[in-house]
Amino acid sequence: MSDAKVERVYCPVCLAKFKYSEGWSEGSVVVCPICGERLTLRKTADGWIGDRVDRGTEKEIRSRIDGFAEIRGYVFNDVKEDIVEGLLGKYKRFGDFYCPCRMEHVPEYQCPCKPTRGGDVEKNGKCHCGLFWKKA
Amino acid sequence: MAEKHKIVVYALSTCPYCKRTKRFLDDHKVAYEHIDVDLLDDSKQDEVLDKVEKLTGMRSFPVVVIGTEHWVGHDEQRLKKALNL
Repeated sequence: MSDAKVERVYCPVCLAKFKYSEGWSEGSVVVCPICGERLTLRKTADGWIGDRVDRGTEKEIRSRIDGFAEIRGYVFNDVKEDIVEGLLGKYKRFGDFYCPCRMEHVPEYQCPCKPTRGGDVEKNGKCHCGLFWKKA
Repeated sequence: MAEKHKIVVYALSTCPYCKRTKRFLDDHKVAYEHIDVDLLDDSKQDEVLDKVEKLTGMRSFPVVVIGTEHWVGHDEQRLKKALNL
């Protein structure tokens, strides 16, 4: 059994760590396998951190939700564009891409929100906002 | 026509379903009051959230109030029925 320490990368969107893969290095752009965010890798004294690519832009949130849907095998419907508009409104007014259908502006409600990352779509067929849908 | 009753929509400025409800009422030229709860200042927001919670038992939006009737969510069939459209 190998006793080599597995390195991990901290994602500032979902506030979780994921496994550092072989071939990655400082400056690599990777996709967080938990929330779909695109991150540029940076080595710090505390370990690897991912910096958000295109932070605060429409490109960032579209890439994140598309990436998350792809990872989980979820689909969108015609409400997607309205929700993207709502997410952009949240960033503008409240400083980040919080769930547009909730009042609370806290890290766990960054889209995709914690309940969605935790399996709400599997349970209910869709996320709270109806952005992510389970494939029929 | 239910327009003789006061119509109030409690909404979030970013919520797509709230926008659909407002759009539906606008398209049907129905006069209504709307309150974007997330844009209120803190004390007014607390007051309105308490009111919404008492009315519906939750903090979900939109909340549509037509006279003595109310519901949570964008529901065109219910709007049509309540407004005799």
